[in-house]
Amino acid sequence: MSAKLWAIVKREYLERVRTKAFVIGTILGPVLMSGMMLVPMLAARAKGKPLRVAVVDATGQLGAEVERALADVRDGERPRFEIRRGGGDASEGALKAFNQEINEQALDGYLLLPRDVLEAGSMTYYGRNVSNFADLEKLRSAVGHVIVSRRLASAGLDPTKVGALTRDTELRRYRVSASGEREDQGATFVLALILLMILYVSILMWGQMVMTSVIEEKTSRVVEVMASGVPSTTLLLGKLIGVGAAGLTQFLVWAFSLFGMSLAAGGALVIGNFVMPEITPLLLASFVTFFLLGYFFYSSLYAAIGAAVNTVQEAQGLVFPVVLPLILAMVCWPAVMQSPDGPLAVTVSMIPGMSPLVMFLRIVVLTPPAWQMLLSIALLVAAILFVIWFAARVYRVGILMYGKRPTFPEIVRWVRHS
Amino acid sequence: MNDYALVLEGISKAFAGHVAVKELSLRVPRNSIFGLLGPNGAGKTTTLRMVMDILGPDAGTIEILGAPADHAARDRIGYMPEERGLYPRMVLEEQLVFMAAIKGVPQAEATKRLQPWLERLSLADWRRRKTNELSKGMQQKAQFIATVLHEPDVLIVDEPMSGLDPVGTDVMREALIDMRRAGTTIVLSSHQMETVERLCDRVALIDGGVKVLDGAVSEVKARHGKNTVALAFEGDGSFIEGLPGVARVTDHGQYFEVRLEDGADPQPLLKAASERLRLRRFEIVEPSLHDIFVETVTRHREEAA
Repeated sequence: MSAKLWAIVKREYLERVRTKAFVIGTILGPVLMSGMMLVPMLAARAKGKPLRVAVVDATGQLGAEVERALADVRDGERPRFEIRRGGGDASEGALKAFNQEINEQALDGYLLLPRDVLEAGSMTYYGRNVSNFADLEKLRSAVGHVIVSRRLASAGLDPTKVGALTRDTELRRYRVSASGEREDQGATFVLALILLMILYVSILMWGQMVMTSVIEEKTSRVVEVMASGVPSTTLLLGKLIGVGAAGLTQFLVWAFSLFGMSLAAGGALVIGNFVMPEITPLLLASFVTFFLLGYFFYSSLYAAIGAAVNTVQEAQGLVFPVVLPLILAMVCWPAVMQSPDGPLAVTVSMIPGMSPLVMFLRIVVLTPPAWQMLLSIALLVAAILFVIWFAARVYRVGILMYGKRPTFPEIVRWVRHS
Repeated sequence: MNDYALVLEGISKAFAGHVAVKELSLRVPRNSIFGLLGPNGAGKTTTLRMVMDILGPDAGTIEILGAPADHAARDRIGYMPEERGLYPRMVLEEQLVFMAAIKGVPQAEATKRLQPWLERLSLADWRRRKTNELSKGMQQKAQFIATVLHEPDVLIVDEPMSGLDPVGTDVMREALIDMRRAGTTIVLSSHQMETVERLCDRVALIDGGVKVLDGAVSEVKARHGKNTVALAFEGDGSFIEGLPGVARVTDHGQYFEVRLEDGADPQPLLKAASERLRLRRFEIVEPSLHDIFVETVTRHREEAA
């Protein structure tokens, strides 16, 4: 019996692992992850040439100061703007001339400071590209600083002093957990979302894989030969374990390469501007646990659907209601993240179809009481046993059924009678 | 330990609304070749599936090799279903070893047994190829190896020759006969009456889920009398059907099989035929299994109606 189960597990595992899709996905995962880290760094380094901007000063008194302030805006070592004096003529004809220069690519843009800019605080930028928000924000802030300083000076206040007095406050966040305290710049939030996304996609993807493989067995008719050799429960279990092991293999490869990369990066892993928070053993263990539990729950249901239908197209109508809890769990994340110990989060993290995502999210954000984690897992395991029992019965009847797709009540009848 | 490889006792199976098998009892003696016959939809496949526990019977009991059917006993059966199936993307060799593994044969042992079979069925050059690269006939042979690699005591084959060329058919027939000689019991379900006639010791005919005929082939033939005439001729023989004393005519192409009414004398037929046709053959023969099949099923349906 166990030798047969082992043979099926091995076959299913090898069939998945040997596909090109698996090999590519396994290698591409880490490549994508390192890409996510490297690309922003490289992009930040190579911003391109400085913007050539002309300053048109209709006030006739701000020009020099604004030019100086803009020339001081730096991107790393290099100045960000290449400033040209645009004179004080804001007449239509003068502006037209600038427009023509822009179209001839002799200029990237020009800043128009109207006569009343000191009072109204409104200026205009004309440019070939106005979607470069970061650059334009730097420009606004530098010029704004000049204007505010002027206002302060004309009110008899010392701009330097005011600046010192109105300096912004900052809030530094430290996450306190069993392993001590650690500064967190929003990284937990990002990590939680990334892991949640991976968990969600993987559960669906590997579940879908189980369903497709059941349908293929029906299509190739090999299933009758298999059913004559082993009980349908063994067949189902072997498939679930084999495919799940392939999924786990992929995660382990990813985890090790991530770990390797973090060693290479000197411990602190950087994604964009975030320093990755510490990946604790609890986090790693709960990721693997909830992947496996979520996978077994949903892939058993997927297997039952696969057994009931004849083609993947036919399956789509039955898939949606089955994966609905998982989708709802995904929708819940902002609420759960906001108050991970609130009544909604606690309740939803106990519901079997939703707990793989929600309980995991709670664990990432803060460590919930142990009894809640254990209860959630116990309920989920009980539900999995029921679902496997249910799926095995649908499987036994369904794999020999060809032709019309059964309705849901018909499937329930199969389970009662098999 | 009794003398039967398979004993089915009053098994029944109904699907939503219709009865597929009704109180069917069969005894398959050990070391025999047993033909399971019946028209399409008679319940043959359902019966075989119940033997293999792919379907559970609603009533009745099944014994395999003298013991109540369980998983261990079913491992002693090799089952080749009518709907063939192999994993399309699996390499042939791995596929066959895997099929033996789910019948409980260790990998090393299965690999050892595989080579002679591959050679015998001319598949040795294809062992590293994927199943979906094989032709239909090769897949059929591969399926057969998958069925017998665990050296079953009972072999259940559904249409084993379909899709094979004459050479393949002969190889398959020899393989079946050899296995029988080695002590295997074979249950053969087929519509190819000539194959059944040549191979089987015993036959059972089921129709509409009930058994309508059962016994040794010689016995069944004897029971259907010595009143069949094989008639080969040149000319138009269509008038024969209308002659007095003739019950039924089957045109086999090269000859007519003429069934006389019970107790009728073949002499008037000979006389009439020789007057109007150029006869090449006139022979009193045993009825063919084909004719017995058609006759029995027709009569059973008339009685049921």
